[in-house]
Amino acid sequence: MRQPLARELQDLLERGRDRQLRLAVTGLSRSGKTAFLTSLVNQLRHAGLEARLDLMDAAREGRLLGARREHQLDLGVPRFPYDAAMAALDADPPSWPEPTRGISELRLAIHYRPARPGLLGRETRRLTLDLFDYPGEWLLDLPLLDQDYPGWSRQQASTGEGERAALFAGWRQAVAGLDPGAEADEARLAAVAERYAEGLRAAREAGFADLQPGRFLLPGELAGAPVLQFFPLPGIASLDDRALAALPAESNYATLARRFRHYQQHIVRPFFRDHFRRFDRQVVLVDLLGALNAGPERFEDLSRALSRLMQSFDYGKRSLLTRLFAPRIDRLAIAATKADHVTPEQHPRLVALLEALLAEPLKDLRFADVPVRAFSLAAIRATQARRISHRGQDTPVLRGTGLSGEPLLLYPGEVPERLPGHDFWARQGFDFPAFRPTPREGGALPHIRLDAALDWLIGDKLR
Amino acid sequence: MNVPPDPRPGHRFSPEAEADPSPEPLAGERFAADLPSHAAATPPSPAIRGEDALTRPRRRRGLLALMVGGLGLGTLELGKTLYAASLGGDWLAAAWGMLGLGALALGGMALVRELWRLRRLRHHDALRQALRTLPEASPQTALGLAERLRVALGLDDDDPHWRGFLAARAPHHDGGEVKALLDHHLLAPRDKAARRLVSRMSSETAIMVAVSPLTLVDMGLVAWRHLAMIDRLCRLYGLELGYASRLRLLRGVLHQMAFAGASELAGEAGMEILSLNLAGRLSARAGQGMAVGLLGARLGLRTQRLARPLVFPAGEAPRVADLRRELWQQLRRLETRDTDTRTR
Repeated sequence: MRQPLARELQDLLERGRDRQLRLAVTGLSRSGKTAFLTSLVNQLRHAGLEARLDLMDAAREGRLLGARREHQLDLGVPRFPYDAAMAALDADPPSWPEPTRGISELRLAIHYRPARPGLLGRETRRLTLDLFDYPGEWLLDLPLLDQDYPGWSRQQASTGEGERAALFAGWRQAVAGLDPGAEADEARLAAVAERYAEGLRAAREAGFADLQPGRFLLPGELAGAPVLQFFPLPGIASLDDRALAALPAESNYATLARRFRHYQQHIVRPFFRDHFRRFDRQVVLVDLLGALNAGPERFEDLSRALSRLMQSFDYGKRSLLTRLFAPRIDRLAIAATKADHVTPEQHPRLVALLEALLAEPLKDLRFADVPVRAFSLAAIRATQARRISHRGQDTPVLRGTGLSGEPLLLYPGEVPERLPGHDFWARQGFDFPAFRPTPREGGALPHIRLDAALDWLIGDKLR
Repeated sequence: MNVPPDPRPGHRFSPEAEADPSPEPLAGERFAADLPSHAAATPPSPAIRGEDALTRPRRRRGLLALMVGGLGLGTLELGKTLYAASLGGDWLAAAWGMLGLGALALGGMALVRELWRLRRLRHHDALRQALRTLPEASPQTALGLAERLRVALGLDDDDPHWRGFLAARAPHHDGGEVKALLDHHLLAPRDKAARRLVSRMSSETAIMVAVSPLTLVDMGLVAWRHLAMIDRLCRLYGLELGYASRLRLLRGVLHQMAFAGASELAGEAGMEILSLNLAGRLSARAGQGMAVGLLGARLGLRTQRLARPLVFPAGEAPRVADLRRELWQQLRRLETRDTDTRTR
């Protein structure tokens, strides 16, 4: 979509003066992106008044004046449904915001007082923060950009043993008799693709994260289009590239490869180009507790998905030139969300586990000299940390309301510092219960460490 | 010792003859599983003394014993004299004895007060050491340490700064976060006051030296002003100094300035030369004042760094460079007024 030239020039100027930041809120589905964005807008809106942002330097020193939603950049993209999310949180009984089903954008103008007035002596300054929300399912399409069909097909055929493979049994059965060289039968391909999509949906229900392609799960307006009717071909594992190239254009293989390429070029690439290329800061949200609840196989699945995902972003130091023409992410926060579902003294362990989960991408980031910090946060705090005396011992507990409305006072258990061995899972698993949001008593949403994460992500621009 | 002879040329060794009964364990050697073993040597807990500890432990038990013994024996003897005098009816001797006892009591009290203040200094140091572990502390311990800091700073329960801290604190804040909050709510106001104090007192001293006519007076003036500054700085951070503790602190500060401060001095040498150049444009006396003022500022900031219960966050410790400009402006003002009156 073209924008008026004046608007683009103004943006360029703002970026040149480093008064504009684009924050990538990255997370797979159900990792709490919408809650994070809602709370972020809410906190900044109430900054300087009721919001408790004490770990944010600018707010603690009283220099943060507040924020306002502005007209967004791209008029063709829906606005982030902040009001709907707040309405859900304010409802009786309160509920979590609806999961995201499409892309939405938001632009915030933050006003603050600089710590030291500049040469021009202006009292207040402004920082523009661009945010955007999208279904986490689509995020895993980004790694597809660097792959070709045979490579993707082999990779998909090899991942998944045990429970995951069982979920795809229907598809495997259907695809077993499919000869890569035979002439393509539209109806049969559609049927097999439907089996594959069913497998993906079942795997998502079962808590797996590494699911490609993402539009199969949330097709939007593409439902039923041939571009969504492809799948990995296990039959080509034995063929080398030359043999594959020799297959006729009407063969099953060539048809599927064509669809894959179309998906890559016309669905994933525009998504990446329009939304993901120009980021300055990134926060990666991970629902660790959910993965622990789900068991070891899903945990490894999550780890694989995240490390694949983080290769799709451009990290590195920024300068004036890169800022204008090829923005890069120069600062990163990784966050274990839903930290309010464990007692406070477990937070360091949650952070340690997160670092263990993201060990591989963290090494690459360190190599690129990009500063990273790990947080344990809860964008919207749903529990209260309390202590009780239990069998003569002072025990930390959480007080909150369960999803079905029953009051809870419980000790959710310990978070392991690293992933426990298989015998531990066989003996006992984890069972961190879910809570529903607490009714709001006016003012800003309660949170855990959102202020520290914000300070890390945008604090250096509020000096 | 039986040293084997050097091998001759063409000497052949048999493979078995290599067996050298060395105490080193062979690769892959197995020991009995029930052999008692203990934990591998752990590094000794880092003693954080030396670099910037307030006090360096140096017990003078001999001196203490001498003083206590002298006081005790003196009391005994005077008591005996008093008794004998009261028996003999020698009122004058009794009065002298009373007077002596009074003097001894005063001396004893002074000694006890000194010891008490030394103890305070040691407590302060212990608190500093405890607060150093704050970033790793759990939420519970962090709150306990914060309470200790509040008491040390002499703040009431309903002091607005303390209440501000309590309002900002949440149960999930860990040690590092509590430290940031304490820094802002409890110590930042004191830091501001300390900075003002150092700036004001060092420039006052600089001006006094610049206008005083006698070198001897200068020396006394500098010593008096600087000691007063150290005292007031310490009181700001909740530390009351006695004679011995002041000596001890001063020794620590001078030690720091001489050794730990050397690298800082080297780093600031460029600015130093610049300011001396500036001083060259002043009269000789004002230049002297500038030098003394800089020394005072350095002393004050070092004291502040030592007396502050929470160590300054990296890169946020105040530096002399920040105070130099104010000092220069003060002297400059004095100088221009001087020349103004002269030309008039």
